Amino acid sequence: MNLQRLFRPERIAVVGASATEGKLGYEAMANAVEFDGEVYPVNPSGEGEVFGEPFVESVTDIEETVDLALLAVPAHVVPDVVEECGEAGVGGAVIYAGGFAEAGGEGEELQEAVVAAADEHDVALLGPNTSGFVAPASNLLASFAGGVERLRPGGVTILAQSGGVAHQLAFSAHREGRGIATMVGLGNRANVGFEEAIPYFDSDPNTDAIVLHVEGTDDGRALLEACRESDTPVIAYKVGQADVGDFAESHTGALTGDHALYTSGFAQYGVPTVESTTELFDAGQALANSPEPDGANVGVVTAQAGPGIIIADRLQRAGATLPDLAEDTQDRVGEILPGITYAENPVDTGRPMPEFGDVVEAVAEDDNVDAVLVYELFEEALGFPQETLDGLAERVDKPVLFATEGPAESMADDLAALREADVPVFTSPERGADAAAVLARYATLDDAAADEEVSADV
Amino acid sequence: MSEDPIAAAQADGRTTLTEAEAKSLLAGAGIETPAFSVAADADAAVAAAEEIGLPVVVKVSSPSVTHKSEWAEGAGVAVGLDSADAVREAAAEIFDAADARGIDADVLVEEARDVDAGTEVIVGGLRDPSFGPVVLTGLGGIFTEVYEDTSHRIAPIDAAEAREAIEELTAIELLEGYRGREPADVDALAEVVAAVGDLVNEHEAISEVDVNPVLATEEGAVALDALVVLGGE
Repeated sequence: MNLQRLFRPERIAVVGASATEGKLGYEAMANAVEFDGEVYPVNPSGEGEVFGEPFVESVTDIEETVDLALLAVPAHVVPDVVEECGEAGVGGAVIYAGGFAEAGGEGEELQEAVVAAADEHDVALLGPNTSGFVAPASNLLASFAGGVERLRPGGVTILAQSGGVAHQLAFSAHREGRGIATMVGLGNRANVGFEEAIPYFDSDPNTDAIVLHVEGTDDGRALLEACRESDTPVIAYKVGQADVGDFAESHTGALTGDHALYTSGFAQYGVPTVESTTELFDAGQALANSPEPDGANVGVVTAQAGPGIIIADRLQRAGATLPDLAEDTQDRVGEILPGITYAENPVDTGRPMPEFGDVVEAVAEDDNVDAVLVYELFEEALGFPQETLDGLAERVDKPVLFATEGPAESMADDLAALREADVPVFTSPERGADAAAVLARYATLDDAAADEEVSADV
Repeated sequence: MSEDPIAAAQADGRTTLTEAEAKSLLAGAGIETPAFSVAADADAAVAAAEEIGLPVVVKVSSPSVTHKSEWAEGAGVAVGLDSADAVREAAAEIFDAADARGIDADVLVEEARDVDAGTEVIVGGLRDPSFGPVVLTGLGGIFTEVYEDTSHRIAPIDAAEAREAIEELTAIELLEGYRGREPADVDALAEVVAAVGDLVNEHEAISEVDVNPVLATEEGAVALDALVVLGGE
């Protein structure tokens, strides 16, 4: 199934568009008209215009071929509307309404009818039971939620099983000055699920990392295989650890919870897993903006010992290693900072100083180090080592992450400048360490998954 | 037992293999099992024990008995039998108990292994509705459910991946030797884990394989008990 017309349309129609404020068809239309391409409001009982666009009676009446239809209509009419969309040559549809498979019984039958109509006409369906998707780079706001027009473009694509979680991740990213490539709520996954969406966004030039929110899917193996096939890094947050599934008579069944299979399977197929939405987006941000690390060796530079110790502790517990620095790196650091408190790893400069950037550079250039994590409290007189950090990751070809804290008002401009330079920035030692640890796990898992593929070819 | 044990069970309309059938299946997949023989009466059991060499274990063998050690107030499994009389008595007790319950039963006579000479491990395979063939390993014996120290893999896997799965267990410290005990042959155990994954992967009829315990010793890994469940279509 080709998802290009669903996720990257040129023309869209809002079926069930309404001029009545507060209605789903009004909110969907209000967002849709932000789109850079053409937008057609469709409603047989609509009169005149809505947001400056004249109402059309049916998608089949639109002369140009519509790529994407946003269906702001009640559940029971969705099968007919999808059929109509198919006849009109529409390539993709977003179904906002709930009351389908998630409701059981008649809802399941309704969903089967929708899928049958869609499959017959090759229409890719997002949903039902989703709040939609958003692609900020083309102002494509295929979501009825308010505020999505504020989301900014970035490199991370969010594929969430729940539209609510997709929006939560997107808004928390926005609050921290980060952008997203595409935010997708998959909902009921009627005919577009993880295994269809992952390959699509793997080939999407705007997507540098894919983050997954997974509650459970019918075909876990297809999800894992899609992840392994993806050249774009994938990270997953599997929710639902407490549910251990049906207890079986014998040992093997009883010991095999669904969650255990997901987490083992993700690791086996090269996908690091995380335990919170914060960790998910932080890791996605780090992977999207960094060269891929070669291994799990992290060099830590800190201007304050306490946060440095938290970072060192947390990194090692999460499976990263803190290698000794090469002797010439130690000499370089010693020359920059005579009488330094601790020049091994972490390097602790004791306090922020004008030469802090030179220390970061020395550690980043060390061949023993696969990734760098820097922590420094913001000091107004010094600012951040902006000049060093800008382009450093590309030059040394390894991730360089920056964690900090300070008064929001005074460091706002400097933080924005770092983000503008694509430096992954985190606002606590733990968040920085967690993101670096996921990078380390990604490097080691990626190796293992690659080995497996090699052995499978033999 | 030259015929395919899965086909034999299916021909009978059974969804579980007898222990002898399960062990034949495992042996065919390259997994070590103790020498065994199925006997239809007490005399045959004694003859089998002499052939295998004492001491032996005698167990009930019947499609109607899945949990042998709980069956007939413990008569279902007799261990450490080191004389012909002891074998005859254990076998007679099983046949009597089977008669009393109105079921058809044979006895399985099996070479005894010293479980104290190694670590008991569980190796399981199953066909998950979402992930297909999967394999798990964990600490076996009476501790399986207490510690739930298990690690899972999506099958099939090679022996290196199986070894990684074993090394994730907390019980790896037991397997690597403690208090002067010799380390277990983890590579042999890894071969068992990989082979169980292959079995589930290759035989669509299998819904679950439960090898508990596998005895891991310094000399290898041997399947002491096994249950194979077929898909109940």
